[in-house]
Amino acid sequence: MSTRGTGRTNGSLPQTKICQFKLVLLGDMAVGKSSLVLRFVKGQFDEFQETTIGAAFLAQSVCLDDTTVKFEIWDTAGQERYHSLAPMYYRGAQAAIVVFDITKPETFERAKAWVKELQRQASPNIVIALAGNKADLADKRLVEYEEAQTYAEDTGLLFMETSAKTAMNVNELFLAIAKKMPKTDTQNPTHAARHRGVNLQDPDAQSSRSCCGN
Amino acid sequence: MMKESKDEFTTSGNRENASSTVPNGVSRNQTKVLSLLQGLRLCQDAWAPKSPWDKHGAHAALWGRPSGSFLVVQGSLPQDQLLCVSVGDSGEPVKEFPIITTGTALHLTTSHLAFPDLFQLLHFYTLSRDVLPVCLLVPSWVYTLNNLPDHLVPLLGPKTWLCPSSDLQANSMTSETQDTAEMPETVLCTIQVTAASGALCFINPLYLQEHGDDWLTHSSSSPINRPIRRDKRLSTTRAWEGRGLKQRSLTLAEDNSSSFDHDRGSFEKSPVTPSTPGGVVLRRASNASTEDPLKRASIDSIQSPLPQSPHRVSWIEDKIWLNSSLLQPPCLELDSLSVSSIEEESEPASSPSPSLHSPRFHLADKMKNRLSAVGQALGGLVSPQRRLSKRVQEMAERKGGAFADAVRGFVEQTLTSGTAPGVTSTEMLQEVRSALTALREMLFDCPEIQSITDSVGDTPDFELDAMLELALHKVALKPVYAHLYVYLKTARRDDGTLQRLETNKSTLENRSLEELEGAAGAGVPDSSMMEKIQQRWTAMHEAYSPSKKVNTLLKVCKNIYHSMNANAKPGTVFGADDFLPCLTWVLLRSDAAILQVDTDYMMELLDPMLLQGEGGYYLTSLYAALYYISSFQPRLAKRQLSAEAHKSLSQWHRRRTLHGNQSRHSRNRRTIRRHGPAEGSSRTAEDGNCLNESKDSSSLTDVVPAIHSMQEAVQGLEEELEAVTEEEEGSAGPEQIQLTETLDLTSPERGDGE
Repeated sequence: MSTRGTGRTNGSLPQTKICQFKLVLLGDMAVGKSSLVLRFVKGQFDEFQETTIGAAFLAQSVCLDDTTVKFEIWDTAGQERYHSLAPMYYRGAQAAIVVFDITKPETFERAKAWVKELQRQASPNIVIALAGNKADLADKRLVEYEEAQTYAEDTGLLFMETSAKTAMNVNELFLAIAKKMPKTDTQNPTHAARHRGVNLQDPDAQSSRSCCGN
Repeated sequence: MMKESKDEFTTSGNRENASSTVPNGVSRNQTKVLSLLQGLRLCQDAWAPKSPWDKHGAHAALWGRPSGSFLVVQGSLPQDQLLCVSVGDSGEPVKEFPIITTGTALHLTTSHLAFPDLFQLLHFYTLSRDVLPVCLLVPSWVYTLNNLPDHLVPLLGPKTWLCPSSDLQANSMTSETQDTAEMPETVLCTIQVTAASGALCFINPLYLQEHGDDWLTHSSSSPINRPIRRDKRLSTTRAWEGRGLKQRSLTLAEDNSSSFDHDRGSFEKSPVTPSTPGGVVLRRASNASTEDPLKRASIDSIQSPLPQSPHRVSWIEDKIWLNSSLLQPPCLELDSLSVSSIEEESEPASSPSPSLHSPRFHLADKMKNRLSAVGQALGGLVSPQRRLSKRVQEMAERKGGAFADAVRGFVEQTLTSGTAPGVTSTEMLQEVRSALTALREMLFDCPEIQSITDSVGDTPDFELDAMLELALHKVALKPVYAHLYVYLKTARRDDGTLQRLETNKSTLENRSLEELEGAAGAGVPDSSMMEKIQQRWTAMHEAYSPSKKVNTLLKVCKNIYHSMNANAKPGTVFGADDFLPCLTWVLLRSDAAILQVDTDYMMELLDPMLLQGEGGYYLTSLYAALYYISSFQPRLAKRQLSAEAHKSLSQWHRRRTLHGNQSRHSRNRRTIRRHGPAEGSSRTAEDGNCLNESKDSSSLTDVVPAIHSMQEAVQGLEEELEAVTEEEEGSAGPEQIQLTETLDLTSPERGDGE
């Protein structure tokens, strides 16, 4: 049993450390969540990409010193009516990007609500980044940089203004998140998955049935 | 530096060592191909010559070199560097691209892509042009620098860097290199794989009979002495080794692996794999592989680092050796199923290319041999899973065997467990799941199984787990799944979910995609696609293996994406904002009750590892969409329940509309817009709270019903509001529509910029 343990670990021992993270995207509809991720993914080495069937789920690895950080990126539907489904997506996520549109103040308010919700009920150590997207539309700006920056500082978030259109700060945002991620123990994907697998099997489906399932 | 590079490739695990065919320490000597990054690091002086060199020198040196040749020299400022690239343009043969250092990152002035160091920057530009007119060109000897005596490496200068690589090889890598050069001439190919247009194709051997295969072997012999140039991908330099496939070739050579390992280590026999050019690679049948050293050498070359993700058949673009892992059946694909892999319904059981053996053709012996080699090769590709499944099946049927006993115990226990009172279906399924995991562990420790898994080579553990899991489903889940379904269905019927699904489905089913807030440009499946989807749902329902079910689900999702894109503007990319409504739309036209039970089955029984990736994502989406339907508050019922509230709400709404009408651009509107979504969010945050906080829920049990009824009330109001809004919209003028939009919490405006 014990020999198997080591055997398995070594069997897939990579030259670099591999950390695999689930990253969830939250934010109002049409703030550019998927565009942001697509821009990030397109800007990377092809061979670190895994082909996926659609853009709602994307997987992308980035190299960071001696570590390969693999993001499994879960997009969520931003419509208010689907809001109550979000916990199913962000459970177990180690990172989140909450996106708003700098030209739409209501999306910033919504983003704040997301942050609050995540801080209250997502994984305790989740790394949250706030992205003020569509920064290329500066002439239509209705959310001031300072306002969001102050909010992010007060709340302990990473914050960047991004533009999926011009790629401004897109890679930077993901790299900043990658740097902030704890680089431990996910080296063996099997292992990591097993750990998280337990979380995923939390009977949250049950609780949803019992408390909201009417 | 040299030491480090060695370590990076000695990844053979204990499992190899455990098998007697590969003695300890062999792996120490095996591959010696450097990654491009390592190579670049080793010979920095060659491509980034120090100070007497300036841009003029670089221009002179690059003049007339093949396009893509480059040097990095000092720029005008001390901290800046200049990338000089030969672009093969007659007007301006050498172009300069300043490299800017900002903080800790480097980038080309005209590009947004930043890199932590120069090596990675150059590495990237050998793969992708980005802002450059051509990809950078690197001499192939970079990959073999570690074979050069240490004292020679620092002597490499720009002249060597820019000189045709054959010179260096001829000078410093003597006899072995010549072996390599000879090797391809003697290859008798059996399968031709070409990637000329990015697609994988097998060349008809009849063509070869007609035209010979000289053209093939010829083209594959030349590249070794050519600088390496790849436009799209560079598999060798892939830094992520996590899915190490380097030793997959063991499969090919497993019968003779003891004779095969003494040649490991002789990297020199192994040409730099990625240099195989012209889109053609050769592959031989496994039984020919160990007969002579030259052929062995080609096996060695399979060992060169390959792209690691086993999911993409598109690697063939890399012109690499076709490898057994590439054609694994989709059931082995784990967290991320590739588009290409689920397009094909490759079943391991299907016999390889029976049509090839058609007796109608009278084939020359040579061709027959080739064809049977094709068959064998293809057979070899799918065999590990088949062999595992077969062995597991045998073991499960073996009288008195420990595994057989364990399986029988599991089946009996599961079939009777339903009778125990007070056991919920979820608990039951969780027990099944842990039993499956335990059985899998048991298998893994079994010498019989290990002998098979060892032969598969350096397969990542999670892949082996998936193979075992699949084999296990057949012996353990197949006998019990009908029973489990009965319980799941009963449980869902008892808690009212199935009924709610049916009721709400009939309420919602006529809603268009727009009413579900789908994207404007996204299409929905047409009737023929819906038929296809229904067939897939049926297949999903009938499968007993949760992994196979999830694979089918992914196919459905792919169909949905296909329909979404059918009439969309080219280049439109649909994320979850668009996908979830579309999936919901499809579910409203499917048998939601059966799907609910299927979903429960998958959610509980799928190998936890598979919950992580793409399969997990779409399973979550399926679950979420079903939840949305089953928890939807039918507006009609609400109206009947609270006609009073409805009336007052519409009065209120009308009042606000009229009021707002007069001051459309006033602060009022802004206030409403600012507060609306926030309120909505806090409401739904509660929702999420009770959804997700299973751990804390025990302390909340008393509160939950209260919250719940509150939520119901709020959601009811919301639906009312929505109903009113929709009614109003019918008769309202344009101004009013804009106002209702600002009030409508459930449909925030949708912008079109990014």
